Amino acid sequence: MDSEIPLPPPRRIRHRSPATAKPSATGLAVSSFQRAQRLSRFDDRSSQPSSDPALFSSDDIPASGLENYHATVSGAGRKRRYRGTWWGEQVLDPKRKRADFKDKRNVDSGVWMGSDESGAESLLPSEDGSAWGEDLRKSVLDPRKSGHSTPFLSEVENIAQTRGAFRSSEESDAHRFAREVVGNCLDKGHESIDLGDFHLRSIPSGLLPPLQHLTKLPSVREAPVSENVFTSLQPFLSIYLPNNYLSALHNDLFELSNLKVLSLRNNKLAEIPSTIRRLKALEVLNLSVNQLTYLPWEILKLMQHGELKHLTVRPNPFIPIEETQITEWHCKPNNKTEPEDEEDSSPSFQPQEQESSLNEDWAPLHVATGPITYMDMEGNPMRDSASRNRPTLTLSGWTSPVNDAPSLREVALRAVSKLPYLEQTTDEELAEYPALLVPLLQQAREVRAAGGQPCSVCQREYVIPRTEWMEWWDFSPCENGMKMPRCPGEKLRPLPFRRFGCSLSCVPASC
Amino acid sequence: MAPSTDSEFVTIVSNDGFEFIIPRSAACVSETFRLMLSSTNFPEGRTGRCVLEDYSGVVVEKICEYFCYNEKHKDQVNVPDMDIPPELCLELLMAADFLNT
Repeated sequence: MDSEIPLPPPRRIRHRSPATAKPSATGLAVSSFQRAQRLSRFDDRSSQPSSDPALFSSDDIPASGLENYHATVSGAGRKRRYRGTWWGEQVLDPKRKRADFKDKRNVDSGVWMGSDESGAESLLPSEDGSAWGEDLRKSVLDPRKSGHSTPFLSEVENIAQTRGAFRSSEESDAHRFAREVVGNCLDKGHESIDLGDFHLRSIPSGLLPPLQHLTKLPSVREAPVSENVFTSLQPFLSIYLPNNYLSALHNDLFELSNLKVLSLRNNKLAEIPSTIRRLKALEVLNLSVNQLTYLPWEILKLMQHGELKHLTVRPNPFIPIEETQITEWHCKPNNKTEPEDEEDSSPSFQPQEQESSLNEDWAPLHVATGPITYMDMEGNPMRDSASRNRPTLTLSGWTSPVNDAPSLREVALRAVSKLPYLEQTTDEELAEYPALLVPLLQQAREVRAAGGQPCSVCQREYVIPRTEWMEWWDFSPCENGMKMPRCPGEKLRPLPFRRFGCSLSCVPASC
Repeated sequence: MAPSTDSEFVTIVSNDGFEFIIPRSAACVSETFRLMLSSTNFPEGRTGRCVLEDYSGVVVEKICEYFCYNEKHKDQVNVPDMDIPPELCLELLMAADFLNT
């Protein structure tokens, strides 16, 4: 076989062109091997392989077939091994030259001569198969450490290296340690990520998204396998971030839809974003020792419809119910827990309350509703917002501009928030737009980054809230994981939940 | 010129000459138009004809569509979304600010 490297076909076309395919035995063996390789690793990857390129050996020895199997072995030379694609050949060990290799040995080792039937065996890339997997994991998880530069991986590595350099110059120690811990957990398949006492002031970007794909390692260690050693590999993902200085939560955190336990104890959080509704699998949430004055209404929904069963929120500087204006009491906090008739007289309000009548002692109990703040088209509170009357009634002229239909601004913003590439626009790009649009566009971008924002009454996606009010709910059975049903006569300890509506008619139905 | 404040319809004109005739009540969805049309001190109020110098026919058509949409769904609770083509949404945001709606 000549030493000329055939012209590489485009990377996506994986078949060997008939012009270059040699009808010799070696050619057939090579192509069948390559087919097996293709099927195994490069089947559906169109651009980038997800794994390291395979190692394979050369077939440039002319008569290495079965016919001269017993030919004399002159010097036990190793076959050359290539890493990467067969056309963009790159000699792994560049010291060996092709010329002196040719006349040394004519016998093929047979390691790489798997037929079509033995395709499964050819999955093993080389004798250092274990090291191969190790390489892969290192280069994927820690791109800065990867040693080899292969044609496929080189550009990825370059990006990773530049990013790494960028990070190392800017990143604080706390962020680096956090990355190490997360990387370690990913490596070992630990499902509980402890980032406590890390002095984190913010969650670095890109830290959490890989955890979405965390895989537990199987626990089977010894040979006698009984049935009960097989457990679910679905991780029970827990993230512990206590005793940090977090003042805001990154949206990445709420992307982890399989997160079960989240502890944010002893941080500087002043607000929990309503995006928390996306953590649908959340079972345990600890928000104690923060600076929260209210909770998002979405947490309540997680308790009513989700899995959230263990919520720890005290101590926090919540607004005390005694000091606030209450427009409607649903049950007296110091009275018995019997809901008043008002609750029953409003059947459309909180239908889930009626549904869960079986375990009413467990369900969160609506205690009171605060006054509604109406907001104008720009999201600023209206002057007469304290009044319980709809502004429509107070402004009732011959045609009132205030009505229930969304404003043109809102309609256009909803269209903006659905634009593609919105989240990729930077503040600099936004600054080129007219000044009055910039805050609106930023708001739309935030909503988009949070994955949309459904109205708490009508579930419609909105950008600018038009109504806002507080609701007091008592959920002492779930608090602190006490798991004790509410006993009659117990003093209720209601907590404030802030709720938003998307239009002026999205208000508590009993108002 | 005779005052036409009692006329039922008003005309909205775009900068490229398209005219849209819509009910006065629909146009008054916009606070700006309402003030313009309610006073005879402004030429708009006298003639019932408003010229939007900054917006082309395509945008003004969408604005008028919105007026009718708002008028139609004024008192409904479950208002269906209005379809806004993406290429118009920035101009409509500007218009919404001008029209105060």
